[in-house]
Amino acid sequence: MKRSLRLDYTLPKGRLAPHFDALAEGRALAWRCVCGHVAFPPGLTCVACGARDGQWIELGGTARVEHRTDTPEAAWALARFDGADTAVMVRIKTPELTTSRGHLVPPEEDAGLWLALEETEDENRSVRRLE
Amino acid sequence: MKVLRIAGGAMTPFNRRKDGSSWRDWCLAAFDEALRDAALEVADVDALVVASESDFFSLQLNPAAMIADALGLHGIRVQRVEGGGATGHLAVQAGAALVAAGLARRVAVLGFEASASHLDGASVGALYSLSYDAWSEGESGIGSAAIYALSARAWMAETGATEADFARVAARNRQNARHNRFAHLPLDVTEADVRASAAVATPYRRLDCSPLSDGAACVILAAPGDLPAGAGRARLAGMGVANDRVRLGDRAAPGRFFAKRVALRAALGQAGCALSDVGLAEVYDSFSGAQLQALDALGLTDDVLAAERAGHFTAEGALPVNLSGGLLGQGAPVGATGVAQVLAAAQQLEGRYHGLRPAVPPRFALVDTHGGIATLCAVSILEAPR
Repeated sequence: MKRSLRLDYTLPKGRLAPHFDALAEGRALAWRCVCGHVAFPPGLTCVACGARDGQWIELGGTARVEHRTDTPEAAWALARFDGADTAVMVRIKTPELTTSRGHLVPPEEDAGLWLALEETEDENRSVRRLE
Repeated sequence: MKVLRIAGGAMTPFNRRKDGSSWRDWCLAAFDEALRDAALEVADVDALVVASESDFFSLQLNPAAMIADALGLHGIRVQRVEGGGATGHLAVQAGAALVAAGLARRVAVLGFEASASHLDGASVGALYSLSYDAWSEGESGIGSAAIYALSARAWMAETGATEADFARVAARNRQNARHNRFAHLPLDVTEADVRASAAVATPYRRLDCSPLSDGAACVILAAPGDLPAGAGRARLAGMGVANDRVRLGDRAAPGRFFAKRVALRAALGQAGCALSDVGLAEVYDSFSGAQLQALDALGLTDDVLAAERAGHFTAEGALPVNLSGGLLGQGAPVGATGVAQVLAAAQQLEGRYHGLRPAVPPRFALVDTHGGIATLCAVSILEAPR
């Protein structure tokens, strides 16, 4: 027996919507808890103190790769964004590069966080890009 | 906790079905055989707990009601349990809780999944990627192998584990599975074969990954006084569950499966046994490195890598692990996986396991299962009949 489903979901992001709206533009919007903990990506409850109050802050969008995996088609990494207290899984936009620093760019074929790696390990390069 | 026995159990072969049989057939086969094994009748069962990870695979919502109907169970307590990869194990613990609470006397825990034959691999992979944070990882196109690979990378960086260590685990579990007539991948492969298999997500290769499987498994739980065989079967002595942050990046150490240790402590406390009393383990090896990460988190030895390299976890070693073949060898129809792990451990303690066995059955065995990436962790301690 054959059966086929096509499901078109609408998924409101609620309180986290500002973060996802910013990601679509390649901006890194993090949540700073009243205790000072900066979560990127944000959650509904602070992992450090359990509080739910805080405010949105925009990070510079630069990050350091901590761990990386390459598949035949793509590459992903656990990266820590400058100014964030948590790491996050990112898709690497430039898998041919193996440098350790990069910056957030708007998503391509899939949603989520996309990181474009710098061409060299120049520590100042990503900072200059912000200017 | 009330004394609780695993009165009997059975599983179907785990594989990719090509014989036209349905998941309802597999459930019926596992249930009927489990009843026979426990010397019970259908009418003796007063609760059914169904373990099924996802209706996307079965295309049957409310599967517990459908299965109860198919098995000829009516007018009894029926429920379904789900917790990602831990689904089957959580269902066993939920069934045990019903007995312990006095809500049922003889519970059938029936796990199944049609992970292999219903959908193509890419569709299953896309669904599995929703097992993590579906709003972040799940939307980025990342698959389970790459997520596990990132965690393995973190563990390798901390411990010095190598791809050769992972390949040894992957080959050994397949070799163990060659003694298991229900196994999906009873492969005569070596470490070199693993390391020569196709790259999937560095450091993982094809043979480092567990397969998508079809199948079902069932165990019957009851207090000894409610069983014809009395106390002749293994005791479910301790049960623990603990969760961790869902996203790896939110964890202090993304290579460490901390929640397993929390679950283990709870299970050991209930069982009244020390970690050093555990003489056999079935652990959740969805990927080869994950087996070592699990053993590390459970703290079954001081130095897991040294123990692994010294043969500690082989059939002849001090602590045999995954003699069934584990997920890597026996296979992984998700809802059935944890049920089959519990069944294998029970039958080992009873000295009647059909596959590879240690020279002497130990007194205590550990079963470890998780959903996500050690996100929702279940640990049980089983004790041999005395």
